[in-house]
Amino acid sequence: MSVSLIIIIVIAVIFVLMYNSLVGKKNQVENIFASVDTVLKKRYNLIPNLVASVQEYMKHEKSILEDITKLRSKANKPNVSDEEKIELDKKVSSALRSIMIAVENYPNLKANENVMQLQRSLNEIEEQISAARRAYNQAVTDYNNAIEMFPTNFMANFMHYNRKKVFEIVESERKNVSVKDLFEK
Amino acid sequence: MKSLSQLTDFYYDNLHPILEDLDKKRQNVKFRILLFGAILAFFDLAVFSFFKNNLEWLLFINIAVGTFLYKFLTSDYTSEFKDKVIAPLIQEIDENLRYTKNIHVSEFEFINSKLFTSIPDKLDGNDYISGKIDEVGIELSDIHAQKEHKDSKGRSSWSTIFQGLFIISEFNKNFNGRTIVLPDTAQSSFGDLVGGWLQSHNISRDELVKMDNPEFEREFVVYGSDQIEARYILNHTLMQRLIEFKKRLKHKIYISFVSSKIYIAIDYGKDLFEPAVFKTLLDYKVAMEYVKTLHLCVGIVEELKLNQKLWSKA
Repeated sequence: MSVSLIIIIVIAVIFVLMYNSLVGKKNQVENIFASVDTVLKKRYNLIPNLVASVQEYMKHEKSILEDITKLRSKANKPNVSDEEKIELDKKVSSALRSIMIAVENYPNLKANENVMQLQRSLNEIEEQISAARRAYNQAVTDYNNAIEMFPTNFMANFMHYNRKKVFEIVESERKNVSVKDLFEK
Repeated sequence: MKSLSQLTDFYYDNLHPILEDLDKKRQNVKFRILLFGAILAFFDLAVFSFFKNNLEWLLFINIAVGTFLYKFLTSDYTSEFKDKVIAPLIQEIDENLRYTKNIHVSEFEFINSKLFTSIPDKLDGNDYISGKIDEVGIELSDIHAQKEHKDSKGRSSWSTIFQGLFIISEFNKNFNGRTIVLPDTAQSSFGDLVGGWLQSHNISRDELVKMDNPEFEREFVVYGSDQIEARYILNHTLMQRLIEFKKRLKHKIYISFVSSKIYIAIDYGKDLFEPAVFKTLLDYKVAMEYVKTLHLCVGIVEELKLNQKLWSKA
């Protein structure tokens, strides 16, 4: 009698622990996504200012500027899902990169105090976004591992937890400094 | 900041007459130490029969008297060596640096670094260097932090928390939380599975932060109060630089980012910048150890590129 009772208690405790660890992992993903969202918004807020500062010079790049404005208004709509936010971020990042490359072709723009300040702010925000993305990816990886690995996978199935998508890290972000570069100075 | 080869040249060219003079004093000190050592050995032989049943007492007396005599006999020589060799070397590395031989980094900074979880009961140190390299504030010194343990009979013994170089520098990014980077001892001794579990259940530390650089993860373990901030500080470039730095050092290294500063503790396990007594000061290897260590610790600003103000930190 008492042995079976102990077994039932142990099994119950294991279930509670598994359940709590899965919920903990899901909440960690959501918490970190909220921070990702905050820094993404910070960047979206810089876009109108950037477009206003460069558009009178950049006649040839009009389409990129229009695109990025459209992307921004899309992102600012309510009820955008997490997956859509990740997709939008990818597009905005690449559009911003092409604008910054284009700026290099206009000496007047490059020397403009306002543009320089914006560039610095963008660099800073990019660093923060990159950190937030990496933290999010780690949280998602932990979560995905838990819902696919034995024995938590049964529990996850029962709780209807599904795999989540990670941010694709752009190659330029992953690039490390070369060792040669390090010792040159 | 001067290069390593410039410093080596300086050591041999400008300091050579001083070194020759000091080396004569060193031989004198060495002779006296050996003489007192011999006297102590004779004393031991004479009183051996008294202590036959209490040999640990004899050993204790020997260590106490020996340490006292060694310190007493070498103190003038050590002090002169620091004034005439270490101080000019530091001036030569960068003229903005100041050197004080008898003080150390404050206990407040040591505790504030959050690098070690136990609070020291005794904190010694010397060879304090401070100043600015490329506009970046830096201070460092030798540190020996110890903890006292009392057994049931009230006898106390001391254990070392940390002994080595302790470096503090301004960091080029703003942050509010704590990020601590420690040598990865659990994962390397217990393997990924058990070690990883131990790391994530370390109650004396903040949350475990898993980094996305496998080589960095093998060498270090990161704890932080904020998952995102830890990655904001430790971007891929800094992680790579820390790996390179660790490889060159060949000693355990503890790093933390607290109060907008970077703290680095290098576990040498001995007091640095002390003059050689039993080897000649003119020996190339002895000379290079002083020059290299000094160059390495002051060079940390350039090595980790703390002087690059890429971000909006004023």
